[in-house]
Amino acid sequence: MSLKYLYISLTIVASIFVGISLKQDYQDNDYTLTSNSSIYTAGDAITIKFKYNGNSNVFLYCSNSYGSIIIKPELDTTLNFKIPESISNKSGTLNWELRSDKKLHAGQIKILPKSEIEKTETYIGPPSIEAGGTDYTMLVSIPTDDLDNPIIDSTEVAVKHQFLEQQVIDYIYTKHGFGYKNLYSYEKRGRILINTECLGLNSKEFDVNVMPTIPTNFSISADRIHNYADGNQITTFKTSVIKDRFNNIVSDGTFVTFFITNQLGYKASTSGTTIDGIATAKILHPDHEELWTIKAYIEGMANSEPIALNYEQAISDFEVSFSKNNRLITVGPLQSFMQQYIPDGLNVYLNIYKAGKLEHQIIEQSINGFASFKLKSDRYPKGTYTVEIKAAGLTKSFPNLIYE
Amino acid sequence: MNNNKTILRSLILISYVLIIALVIYGIAAIFSYLNTGADRSTMLHTGVKQIDQYSPELTWAPLANEGRSMDEENLKAIEDNYLDAWYVKHVAYMTNTMTGIDDFYTKSAQLNIQNVISINSESNTFIEATTLAHYPTLEFFSEDGQLAVLTDHDVIEYKRIFSNETLVAQVNEKSTYKVTLLLEDGFWRIRHLVRIKSEPYTPEAELNPIAVSNIKGINYYPQATPWDMYGDNFDSETIAKDLKIIKDSGLNSIRVFVPYDDFGKSNVSEVKLEKLVAVLDLAETYNLKVLVSLFDFYGDYSVLDWTLTQRHAKSVVNALKSHDALLGWDIKNEPNLDFKKRTEDLVIAWLDKMIDFVRSQDPNHPITIGWSNTSSATLLNKKLDFISFHYYEDVSKLSEAYTSLQSKIKDKSIVLTEYGLSSYSGLWNPFGNSDDDQKDYHQSMQTTFSENDIQFMAWTLYDFAEIPKEVVGRLPWRQNAQKHFGFIDENGIKKPSFKYISTKE
Repeated sequence: MSLKYLYISLTIVASIFVGISLKQDYQDNDYTLTSNSSIYTAGDAITIKFKYNGNSNVFLYCSNSYGSIIIKPELDTTLNFKIPESISNKSGTLNWELRSDKKLHAGQIKILPKSEIEKTETYIGPPSIEAGGTDYTMLVSIPTDDLDNPIIDSTEVAVKHQFLEQQVIDYIYTKHGFGYKNLYSYEKRGRILINTECLGLNSKEFDVNVMPTIPTNFSISADRIHNYADGNQITTFKTSVIKDRFNNIVSDGTFVTFFITNQLGYKASTSGTTIDGIATAKILHPDHEELWTIKAYIEGMANSEPIALNYEQAISDFEVSFSKNNRLITVGPLQSFMQQYIPDGLNVYLNIYKAGKLEHQIIEQSINGFASFKLKSDRYPKGTYTVEIKAAGLTKSFPNLIYE
Repeated sequence: MNNNKTILRSLILISYVLIIALVIYGIAAIFSYLNTGADRSTMLHTGVKQIDQYSPELTWAPLANEGRSMDEENLKAIEDNYLDAWYVKHVAYMTNTMTGIDDFYTKSAQLNIQNVISINSESNTFIEATTLAHYPTLEFFSEDGQLAVLTDHDVIEYKRIFSNETLVAQVNEKSTYKVTLLLEDGFWRIRHLVRIKSEPYTPEAELNPIAVSNIKGINYYPQATPWDMYGDNFDSETIAKDLKIIKDSGLNSIRVFVPYDDFGKSNVSEVKLEKLVAVLDLAETYNLKVLVSLFDFYGDYSVLDWTLTQRHAKSVVNALKSHDALLGWDIKNEPNLDFKKRTEDLVIAWLDKMIDFVRSQDPNHPITIGWSNTSSATLLNKKLDFISFHYYEDVSKLSEAYTSLQSKIKDKSIVLTEYGLSSYSGLWNPFGNSDDDQKDYHQSMQTTFSENDIQFMAWTLYDFAEIPKEVVGRLPWRQNAQKHFGFIDENGIKKPSFKYISTKE
């Protein structure tokens, strides 16, 4: 009986003891934050401290702008969680949570960027803009401290630029970690030099080219050594100095196309690019009397007034001789305006008709003032043909030649 | 003697030839192995295949940025690269390697990630993390299109922290970031990332549960296409006929499954969705309600996969949420069976977030989880509108199990969404149940339901001829048992149990 009581009482005592110790254990795990500061500057050493009772086998979760880590405490009379340098160096909100089996302790620390800067990243674009004051380039400045944190908002940045005789300073203020300024072009072409200054730190020099704007209408002229249609000399077309509406000479390489319209309305073109505002282009003289109208275009932007060019007939007449069997035809001598034999290369056309139908056209170029055609018997069997010769705009016809 | 010598010689000769042949073959194999390499065209990265890896909810604030006006293509490029930057960062912290970081962070920003990684590798800490929502505002786009600044508001971050291979903490944070991005080599890279606000995040827990009542239903697959309901053999006539049988038998609802892979994972197939909607349309014509069980055969749960599952859920939920036949959402069928392989806390964390997500997409329909037994059925019960569980155990103990579950979960409806008995007895289980046993089972189940006022959904209408191996594996005794749970046999003849498919009113 007594043994039974003893057993029961022992059990009760034991259970109370266990109960108390459990309870105590629970109560003992108690953590109180003792480091109160919640605003730091990047680079400051940060230690989060807790007064604690009981279990020190806890850890601190901590996350910053870039990532998360866990930290084991250094044991003292308090739990000291030393935030690693690479974490405390970054500005932004640092979250921490004390992870124990008890209630969660959590908090935030604000880390501000340093107030002195180490470098300014400057981005400028586009690198070339159009003159005239409507186009602009944009300068973006991201000043950072020596720990690569963007500087605090509302920091003043001076944007300095020079153009011709002018030097200008504009002040901008950072927002979202950066500042920007639109730099508008001037009416003159040239180069804008730019730099920025923030908290006493100057950037390097940047440049932006101010390019001439689109060309305005211009005039053209033609240059030739004589006005005969000899099919040999070259006529050179030339523009006036092409400028934009602000009187800037257009950029070198501006493409100008000269359109030539002849008496029959057919068009030909030649082109050139500008150097110092002047574009030149060349074309061969016609080989017969012509009246050309020439107009130049910078496509989609500007054009010239048309000019007219007259070419006089250089070859007034020519002879045609036939061999005995008519199968060798010699054209010439082809003589130009001073009766000189024309330079080689004049096109002479021979049209052969049979029964009123064009059989064939042969083209030969003149050599030493003559052009000759050989009509082979296997190509042109015996029969009656009409032969027509064309050169320098002149036509001669020899009807009903009999070929054996 | 001489003869023997000749034999010996020829044997040696043949074996010599054989050895040489083998050696040559071996060398040739090694040579050809060394000569096969990557296709040269892969050097140029011309055809980088875009696959969805990471797609958290992202909503741009209306564009009102300073600087150059933004266009859709550039915004899309920034969005893609920005999310990729998050993704590679998650991967980096999960593996403590720098893989991919250099594509999406500038040199000086990489250093910050490198620093965190070195701290974590030293303490053997790994972090599995994801972000579930982004609300970016474009602040600035530079004139030359090379620099963009955005503020990403209220980023919902979830992290699982592992120290020495054990999970030590799960963290939910809501943070706001200022991000400066530079366009370098065709990539938008993060130059500066400053978290300007951050706080622990707990989604509002307050919930007015949507009750469900009087569910008398059945789990439904067409007889010819079990577990492959939305494939090429989808036949609305068959389904209509089946739904008529179900309606005529006195039931009022069905439970159908949406297989995750089959529906196209994060990129849900329109065609499959149309078929699913067609099923609900038919159900509506027969006045049946449909409990849609999502994420069937999904088993990954890994944190980096969560955003993709949310994309999947978003498509499915939004396609059905205004349908009159919709009864509610069953987030997943029997997720507790994945506890062993994927760890309980991971599965629970996924379910927890998925419940929140589905509710955010459709606050008007009840949400449940189809737990496979009563002991798991209390999990997450605070977040669910009604509780559902499956019961394949002893009929006589159901009443007790149900009552005890009821006592643990007060003021919420409880539905038994799967129960049944296989009538298979044969080569693989000679002592199995007969059709009459099945009838008796359903009879006594219905009695228990009436006595305890239990809402139910039986497994299943038909006996099936083929069971895909993903369902119960390849073992023939399992396969055969699974084939015979139906109320209607393979030949379309109603089994005796059909009489007790429902309580007649």
